[in-house]
Amino acid sequence: MDLFPLWLSLRVALSATALTLVLGIPVALLLARARFAGRGLLEAVVVLPLVLPPTVLGYYLLVVIGSHGPIGRALAAVGLELAFTWWAAVLAASIGSVALLIKSAQAGFETVDRQLEQAARTLGRSEWSVFWSVTLPLAWRAVLAGAVLAFCRALGEFGITLMVAGNIPGRTQTLPLAIYDRVQAAQMDEAHALALIAVGIVVVLVFGLSRVARLRY
Amino acid sequence: MVSVEIVKRYPSFALDVRWEAEGAVVGLFGPSGAGKTLTLQCLAGLITPDAGRIVVDERVFLDTAAGVNLPPQARRVGYVFQGYALFPHLSVAENVAYGLRDRPRAARARRVAEVLERLGLAGLERRYPRELSGGQRQRVALGRALAIDPALLLLDEPLSALDAPLRRALRDELREVLAGWGTAAVVVTHDFTEAYRLADRIVVYEDGRVIQAAPRAELLWRPASEAVARIMGLTNVLHGTVQKATPERIQLRWRGQTLEAVNSPTRSYLPPPDSPIAFFVRPEYVRLVRKDRGAPDPLHHMNLMRGLVVGEADFGTVWSLRLRLDAPGPPAQGDFDLEVEVPHLVYEILEISRDRVWEFSIHRGSIHVLPS
Repeated sequence: MDLFPLWLSLRVALSATALTLVLGIPVALLLARARFAGRGLLEAVVVLPLVLPPTVLGYYLLVVIGSHGPIGRALAAVGLELAFTWWAAVLAASIGSVALLIKSAQAGFETVDRQLEQAARTLGRSEWSVFWSVTLPLAWRAVLAGAVLAFCRALGEFGITLMVAGNIPGRTQTLPLAIYDRVQAAQMDEAHALALIAVGIVVVLVFGLSRVARLRY
Repeated sequence: MVSVEIVKRYPSFALDVRWEAEGAVVGLFGPSGAGKTLTLQCLAGLITPDAGRIVVDERVFLDTAAGVNLPPQARRVGYVFQGYALFPHLSVAENVAYGLRDRPRAARARRVAEVLERLGLAGLERRYPRELSGGQRQRVALGRALAIDPALLLLDEPLSALDAPLRRALRDELREVLAGWGTAAVVVTHDFTEAYRLADRIVVYEDGRVIQAAPRAELLWRPASEAVARIMGLTNVLHGTVQKATPERIQLRWRGQTLEAVNSPTRSYLPPPDSPIAFFVRPEYVRLVRKDRGAPDPLHHMNLMRGLVVGEADFGTVWSLRLRLDAPGPPAQGDFDLEVEVPHLVYEILEISRDRVWEFSIHRGSIHVLPS
């Protein structure tokens, strides 16, 4: 059995989770802490990927990064291509899962008593230092939970990926796409095996998360 | 030396205060929502006033006119929050060391050990806040704030998180700590006893404004106005009419009686005749006239009145009596005119529970006039 889709999916989901952590945590912090005009709008935009049909998201993403899109053309100018590469799959998985990370991390940051951060500031610590020594240590479980959910969601991402990365065996065919392919080809045993692998990974992660959640700080 | 001038407006509240204090401990006293905590937050730099100037020991923290506004990190003030705000994920030693990150490791460890030792926390280094008693938490919060050698220590209701029995003990302990470390401090409290115990100078807040700032003894004996007297929780704040005022004495009419009060020569309050005047009488300074000693001596008993006990409450060591004057017209305070406090022993000797009609006197020095 060809396990390439499994390895690709793990690589894509891990990369997407890393990307959502880097991009999502600042947004979550902003939503949890700052009061600014357009906050409601940002909050709506954040949940949009969860509620829009994935094919719609994929379509617009393709319009932007495709060879005729603004980003696609800019990349082509320096000899790079994004659409229908595994990087496009990473982008698709990130967009599909970033909302889960942001909402979970935001909820975590909101439970951190602001007075603790203020205390840290009066004790001379910079905003950067306050975040790493107080805010994150007190909210890391929520951030981790968000990251695990985002990883699982990224692992299962189908619609957006199909639109922007295609379904190229050995190049962009991820686990969910491979399962779909096997079913189409009536290779039910292989489809079942791949599906079981996906279930196994997710069950282990979610169970592990519930154990971690019981730890103190 | 702390000099504060702050204007901060919110849709439903405005803070507009100005006060100064020389060294030692300043108490910000007033009801909840008067702007005391907001003042502390402005002092610490956690909130930026709309306008104002804050100077601590010649360091300008804030001067909106000159565009100066030091961030909290640069002010070096120790802030003891209400509820303490200890870092729950850090041990006692790590909490105290938190503000010392700039110092070399060895110096930091020395300082932490020294602070914990002085505050009686030695041995608790590795405990976490949740494993400490209320009193220990308070001392850790103090230690964390004092460790950085603050130019100013800010304490927000430092005792309110504690149970009543502990409060009194810790109030005295806190006073010793403040005196012992010699750091200038600003203490916020809504409890007058606490303010009086802890502070040398008391600034009285009401609704975003300062209504009196005075050394604690002056505030206790000469509240500047009726509003101050009410916020201090004084009983028997009464209203009469001026008959005659001289720099030494004020004669006033109240409930059909003519009362004589001492005027304060330093304040030289000289209201015109027939103007309304507020005054207060401390309940423990009203003296019942003993019936077994013959007629009262006018030199000893001035401002003599007669009244009926219409209510009483047993506070253990003292009884609080409510007296209604033997005079026409509605009583001054609902169904009674004066609240009087007598020691339990006196209550028993005079058999007040049986005998309800009494003559009583108030020394002229115990009638405190409140300028309007």
